[in-house]
Amino acid sequence: MTAAASPKLALHAVTQRFGETLALSPTDLAVRAGEFVSVVGPSGCGKSTMFNIIAGVLQPSGGRVLIDGRDVTGRAGEVGYMLQKDLLLPWRTVLDNIVLGALLKGKAGPKERAEGVALARRYGLGDFINHYPSALSGGMRQRAALMRTLAMHRDVLLLDEPFGALDSQTRFAMQQWLLSVWEREQRTIVFVTHDIDEAVFLSDRVVVMSPRPGRIREIIEVPIPRPRPVSALTSPLFSTIKQRIIDLIYENSPALEPAHV
Amino acid sequence: MSDRHALLLRLVYPLVALILVIAGWALAVDVFEIPRYVMPSPMDVANHIADDWPALVKGFGQTFMEFLLGFLAGAIAGFVFAVLMDASRPVRGILYPILITSQAIPIVAISAALTIWLGFGLAPKLVIVALVVFFPVVVNVLDGLASVDKDIINLVRSMGASRFSIFRHVKLPATYTPLFSALKLSATFSVTGAVIAEWTASTSGGIGAYLLQANSRLNTAGTFAAIVFLALLGLVSFLLVIAAEYWLTPWRSGSKARRWSSSYWKDETGG
Repeated sequence: MTAAASPKLALHAVTQRFGETLALSPTDLAVRAGEFVSVVGPSGCGKSTMFNIIAGVLQPSGGRVLIDGRDVTGRAGEVGYMLQKDLLLPWRTVLDNIVLGALLKGKAGPKERAEGVALARRYGLGDFINHYPSALSGGMRQRAALMRTLAMHRDVLLLDEPFGALDSQTRFAMQQWLLSVWEREQRTIVFVTHDIDEAVFLSDRVVVMSPRPGRIREIIEVPIPRPRPVSALTSPLFSTIKQRIIDLIYENSPALEPAHV
Repeated sequence: MSDRHALLLRLVYPLVALILVIAGWALAVDVFEIPRYVMPSPMDVANHIADDWPALVKGFGQTFMEFLLGFLAGAIAGFVFAVLMDASRPVRGILYPILITSQAIPIVAISAALTIWLGFGLAPKLVIVALVVFFPVVVNVLDGLASVDKDIINLVRSMGASRFSIFRHVKLPATYTPLFSALKLSATFSVTGAVIAEWTASTSGGIGAYLLQANSRLNTAGTFAAIVFLALLGLVSFLLVIAAEYWLTPWRSGSKARRWSSSYWKDETGG
């Protein structure tokens, strides 16, 4: 494993049982500080279970989750997370939604709000600070949701298919935008998706999972140099990596035709 | 420009409707030679209103007071009931039958009993009006509280929000839209409630009592004058709810926060 001696985020033998079913068999994973790791796999592979355990909203049946070596198993609020649904509060302005973390604790003072405004300006929502979410497009709403996550000041960001509901053009624009945010903010990102192109384009490593029982099948390195231009998507290296992932995912289900993926 | 034009049209159409109804009414009384004690003309009613203006205005004020206080009491009680029922299963189990029963009893029946218990003053009227508002508010606010997305609750919890903070920032605002639907529906019914209450204990001098007196004397112009004032009361109560809704739920009527609100970011640098 390429992770350094003390990884930012580590899973040690994390296991989840729901009654008789083993949703996630004992799993180990180490993510370096500042690394971008994607998790792909068919439904039922345990990636959502793993997401919820890392987010701390689900207590695993066994194993430990460590951040900087600290045990944070089953503790919510240690990582920033974001879902496919933007979960913006309709009755709050974009700015109030960005500083929601401070607002909930009654600490949204001028300093926090100014910081929220700076985030909004830096990442393309400067003209919508005082708007309500209903006035925003799907892509803009997801930007606001990511800024809310950034404003939480957590080193580890957990994103669960954040662009899954967007059309493909917006989605591609958002992927490039996310990379620019990540390069500037120096956070560690764990990104769950079932879009293999998205996983390869964004990540340093892709964790491929498989179902019954849910487990990590293999971890694939993506040695495409950064910053990655759009042309990276059609390079031979990209295709080789993508093919390898497809093989891993569909190896056990010959009924599916890989060419259509 | 076109905005002002549209606003003008919105005011003009109801006015035209009103004029048409009054004109049709005047014409019908004239053409069919309907006796005055059956159906007065609009002019008779207008004359009556002018003659008895002080009594009508006093009655209007009285009934409006009954409506306003009863409406607020019922809305607040309903809201508190709903919050308690949402917070605890046993409370919901115990309160639900009471709630349903309170709806099953006809208002008129309670009205008679309330007069015996509470006398002829303001109290029984307030209770009747409050009862009218109470049920729709409880049901709608309960719906609003239950409609909050579990993922939002999870998210704000992970951001370190306390139970109170979750209620204040997430659950409470989610009740506003269904709450105002309930209030709009029951605003005009509440006026009916006030009138019914005045009929069973008619010493208060409200518009309902005025109507009953005029009716018993076959004073049709007086009856119609009371009807006009009751219609006005219904409209005023409805408009009050609309105004409160506009004021308290700015995200539903505009795309931006209002400039004077505390969440509006005023930019000194002007970017």
